[in-house]
Amino acid sequence: MMDPAEVEFIAEKQMVEIVPNFNFDRVYLISGEIGPFRAGLPVKVPIWMAINLRQRQKCRILVPDWMDVEKLEQAKEDESASRYFTKMPSEHYMAEAQLILSACGEDVPRADEIRTALKDLWDMRMSKLRSSVDTFIKTGGTHARLDHLTLMEMNSVRPLLPHALDQLHRLSTVRFVFSPLVNSSSCFDMHISILYYCFWC
Amino acid sequence: MPLLRSYTPHYFSIDDIMATQERLPCKFEVDVLRLGEYCRNQAKIIMSNTTALKVAKKSFLDPSSDDEDIKTGTTLELPYWLARALCNRNRSIVSVNIPRIYKEAYREILKAEASVVDLHRLCVYFYEFGSYLSGFNHRDSTEIGNLLVQCFKDRFRLIMDWAQNSSGDTSGSGRGAGSDPTARLDNLERGLLITGRSSWEALEAWLSQGGGRPIGPANMVVNHQKRQLANASVS
Repeated sequence: MMDPAEVEFIAEKQMVEIVPNFNFDRVYLISGEIGPFRAGLPVKVPIWMAINLRQRQKCRILVPDWMDVEKLEQAKEDESASRYFTKMPSEHYMAEAQLILSACGEDVPRADEIRTALKDLWDMRMSKLRSSVDTFIKTGGTHARLDHLTLMEMNSVRPLLPHALDQLHRLSTVRFVFSPLVNSSSCFDMHISILYYCFWC
Repeated sequence: MPLLRSYTPHYFSIDDIMATQERLPCKFEVDVLRLGEYCRNQAKIIMSNTTALKVAKKSFLDPSSDDEDIKTGTTLELPYWLARALCNRNRSIVSVNIPRIYKEAYREILKAEASVVDLHRLCVYFYEFGSYLSGFNHRDSTEIGNLLVQCFKDRFRLIMDWAQNSSGDTSGSGRGAGSDPTARLDNLERGLLITGRSSWEALEAWLSQGGGRPIGPANMVVNHQKRQLANASVS
């Protein structure tokens, strides 16, 4: 499992557009090169750099397209209409929004509405996740598709679900350890372990 | 946050030792000589060189009988680890009976609605002990094994809800007057609840605090600094 801060750290690698107010040459980093920075011209940088520059008043962050009340309302409608998880505009939508809005909330028009819409979306997806985890355990499902589930959401069930699957696996195999009559139980268990692996890694 | 491992019993795990300590009714199939109440003192003297055996002898003793020996057909409650040793394919000194809580009547209750049962009161190590029991060559063994799995599945929702609503402990589902409903969980479930709850709290804290929090030093570094400080002040 990961700490939410670690997920946030991963999300900070996402690119965002900024408008710098300084001139600077290309910066060469292990993850790739950034820049060159020309005052007034938009450039793509990772979020961590954007936030740092913004804090020093060196740039203006251009909010990503999807961070917009209408688009989020649309996403909310799609989410409630679908039985499954819908595709989110960004792999780390929650973390990105948290980072950008807390760094430059005052620059973004209707920031509060965006926050509320995101929270609604998050809550909707979490309740969906919770009920699907529940049915998964109850019906003894062998595998689950986790399309369009973001890392932060996956992490929210993390120590609990894999540990529960662990115990379930242990309870269902333990009697075969003692008794000599081993029969074909392991197919189910193998699937459980595979799923467990997906959540663990 | 450290990498959390789920519980698996091992040689030194206290939970496992405690679970094997649970008692189950056993019937003696043969006469066991000189282990009744009458010669308790002698048994103690003979066995006093090894503490472990002394404990074993004590649990052998049938305090209610005046006889020197334990007769065939006597029923005693023995701890699991002893019963296991006395009842297997090579040696059947006792025959094992399944404890009340794993019998038909209780199984029916658990099948009907597992989530309202107070497992903690039935047996603190319900799942652990149950899985050990299902290892005995008893006609109910398979039934017990299936029961444990089903029961765990049925109660999982409860654990998940409690883990994710940590503040709302006393609301609704508490049946006892003002009691914590989580007191109804067995030890295994409680472990799950605690890990689930701590991670959920971390997530909630992150959501409410927003991104870009200052990053503190790792625990290990802090402890190391403290230790260095302590060493410096000592020397």
